[in-house]
Amino acid sequence: MKLRNLLAGAAIALPLMLGSAHAQSTDPLKTLIVAVPSDAVGLEPGANKAEPIGSEVILNVFDTLVAWTAPDFTQLEGRLVDSWTVSPDGTEFDFKLREGIKFHDGTDFNAEAVKFSLERTKAINTYVEATFGLISEITAVSPTEVKIKLSEPYPAFLSILAQPQAAIVSPAAVEQFGDEGFATNPVGTGPFKFASYQADTNIVLDANPDYFRGAPTLERIIYRVIPDASTRRLELENGGVDVVQQQGQLSAIAAEDVAALEANPDVTIIEAPSQIIRQLEFNNNNPDSPVADIKVREAIVHAIDYDGLLQGVFGGTAERVYGPLTTNSWAFNPKMEELAPTYDPEMARSLLAEAGVDPSSLDLTLYSFQGPLWGAVATFVQANLADIGINATIAQTEFPAYRALQTAGQFDVALDGRQPWYNDPDAHITIGYLSSLADTAMTFRMPEDAELDALILEAQQTVDQEERKQLYFDIQEKIAAKVPGAYLFSPKLIVFTRANVNGLVINTAPPLNEYWGVSKE
Amino acid sequence: MASFLLRRLLALIPVLILVLVIVFSLVRLIPGDPAVTLLGPGATDAQIAALRAQMRLDEPFYLQFVNYLLGLLQGDMGISLKSGAPVLQEILLRLPATLELAICATLVAILVGIPIGVLSGTRPNSIFDHFTRVFSLVGVSMPAFLLALILQLIFATYLGWLPVSGRLSPYIIMQPITGFVILDGIITGQWDIVWSAIRYLVLPTAVLAAFLAATLGRFVRNTMLEVMSEDFIRTARAKGLTRAQVVLEHGLRNSLLPAITVVGLKFAEMLGGAILTETIFAWPGIGRFMFEAIKNRDYPVIQGTTLVFSLLFMLTSVLVDLLYGVLDPRVRKRMK
Repeated sequence: MKLRNLLAGAAIALPLMLGSAHAQSTDPLKTLIVAVPSDAVGLEPGANKAEPIGSEVILNVFDTLVAWTAPDFTQLEGRLVDSWTVSPDGTEFDFKLREGIKFHDGTDFNAEAVKFSLERTKAINTYVEATFGLISEITAVSPTEVKIKLSEPYPAFLSILAQPQAAIVSPAAVEQFGDEGFATNPVGTGPFKFASYQADTNIVLDANPDYFRGAPTLERIIYRVIPDASTRRLELENGGVDVVQQQGQLSAIAAEDVAALEANPDVTIIEAPSQIIRQLEFNNNNPDSPVADIKVREAIVHAIDYDGLLQGVFGGTAERVYGPLTTNSWAFNPKMEELAPTYDPEMARSLLAEAGVDPSSLDLTLYSFQGPLWGAVATFVQANLADIGINATIAQTEFPAYRALQTAGQFDVALDGRQPWYNDPDAHITIGYLSSLADTAMTFRMPEDAELDALILEAQQTVDQEERKQLYFDIQEKIAAKVPGAYLFSPKLIVFTRANVNGLVINTAPPLNEYWGVSKE
Repeated sequence: MASFLLRRLLALIPVLILVLVIVFSLVRLIPGDPAVTLLGPGATDAQIAALRAQMRLDEPFYLQFVNYLLGLLQGDMGISLKSGAPVLQEILLRLPATLELAICATLVAILVGIPIGVLSGTRPNSIFDHFTRVFSLVGVSMPAFLLALILQLIFATYLGWLPVSGRLSPYIIMQPITGFVILDGIITGQWDIVWSAIRYLVLPTAVLAAFLAATLGRFVRNTMLEVMSEDFIRTARAKGLTRAQVVLEHGLRNSLLPAITVVGLKFAEMLGGAILTETIFAWPGIGRFMFEAIKNRDYPVIQGTTLVFSLLFMLTSVLVDLLYGVLDPRVRKRMK
């Protein structure tokens, strides 16, 4: 049945395509070629599951209501909205929309489109159920005014509205193509229009000359699928691609590659701090574990040579993390820099002695993700532990199995990490340390603690930003005092470009590039 | 001949069913499920459960299998868990790239391997024979990724003659007609596309062909040596035939028979086994597609590609048997 349809379709389409199959080439100086490791999983907000490639395409084809302002990403700015107000109880958001904006299909952007898009994502995108589920009502007050009501206060909601899932789609296009067809014909208001897609080959975006912030300098963006890392590097060196992104994934950055490319005058390396945290996690919810004793945990966090790790393994492509938040978070408590453990093996040994623990009796399995860089980190930590007499065996475990093991609490020490996609302390704190969520994801598995749990929930819901910040300051200190893990490092976001590419701004959360202001010389 | 063909084709069905049962169970035995893999380390249980339900992975095993079989009978191989597109369509989109590469590589290997085999087989222990022995050894033992990297460095980076990877200049955006880029270029008369496509085809073809040409060269050399010492060759020489007639008409024709089996099986292997070459050269073929699917635990795609590979492999071996019949009258007689 399906086969027959396909053949029939091909028979009809073939003569049509023969008439129209013109290859189009463009000026290389107006075309930006971006290397990506695989096809995008989806190109539209209704299906987006925070997968990097599709998400970046969405942020260039669509606009969100608000976005974080470059270069430090601590302030929100209006994109499709002129201004907004939040009710004192934090449950009502009123947006005043920009006027005169049109979708790529020529239809008008208005309050109905906002209501349609957000309700559509809420209905069909299960991935964002926890946050979009808070929306109780969206009202198009007038063509240029939208009111969104939440069932409970959630100040990070504006951050959620800056996410790819909250991008505004053309209702007319969704009606024309259907939900499934829209995925291959995405229509938004963004600086680039979706032009074509070829399986495992490329995704092509063409400039939107009528973009409301001004037409982009580039005429075309081509995402080229190049699965092999060494091929990507050769292509970059030969000028076959203009941009290679590492998307902040540990496995993708090899320190020796960075060093080699630094010496190449044709290649520019852009580094930006990320909000990713990688840590050695203790199982904080198992009273029988050897790390149940806080003295043992303190000994281990003092045994690790943090600066040596940053220099030795990462060659400066990662930064120090002092606590549960990175230094570039707006809620980072500067006091954490003093409170953070120092590398002091002598102190570590005496802490073990105080605890009455013979280090040679500790035989730990150090679990880790796969990949050479995780392996290098694990080996480094293993050597540090050996230095204070603790024997650790490294077990690099394949991801799905690793998750099962971690969420079941079958470990004492494990390497783990979190890459937040929305720019809010909530993205690290709530999921990582709220005891009721301990078993539901890869977390620190914190035991029940009425005071800390209440504080985390209060911070999540407090509307006033200054008040919120103080609550998170307090939370960071309280968490650090419990020594839930050793905060190892935060890898920088690294993007390699050809030297003639200008104007690229790297976002930190989500870690995705926007190409509106990019040009080539 | 017709009844032989029918018998051989019918015999494929139980094999295919067996392959299906094995693959269907095996992919579900690999630890980890597609929902977990697709969502990555940051996901919560609730997000994973929602995706599992959406993918209908929460249904019991036997129900999934029955539904899959019922779909197959209607030509429906299911929906890719990653892209949401029909698996058959996804495979057909990528098959031409793999076929194009496999056919070119096989042709090159035949054009290089057989003459080498004939020449060294008729001049055993000559300098040429020693030289080709080394060439063959290198060709057979060098891993594809290493050869690929060396060729990329020499011909793309240092000499700049050929592109590093891809199938067509990235600046040329072309919607496929047949999916065979060179053929599409010829159909539409766009010679710049044909030229670009050929340039991109050279390196991956060389990597794939090297192994086959080396194997084939050694193989033909040895059979040639054997055949050339047979009685009928002596008779042919005694009849006063020229050296070329003896070698090509009597020697080669008889030593080609076993070589066809080698070529056929290697060609079939290339259809499914060019994963490394396709990955390194960013070649959008079916081997790489399957590899990605295994990484992502995309069950329907793994099942679909395995089924297609098995089918192609078995059809190729039927074809080889038929070719035998064409070339060897003794076999033709037995087929009847």
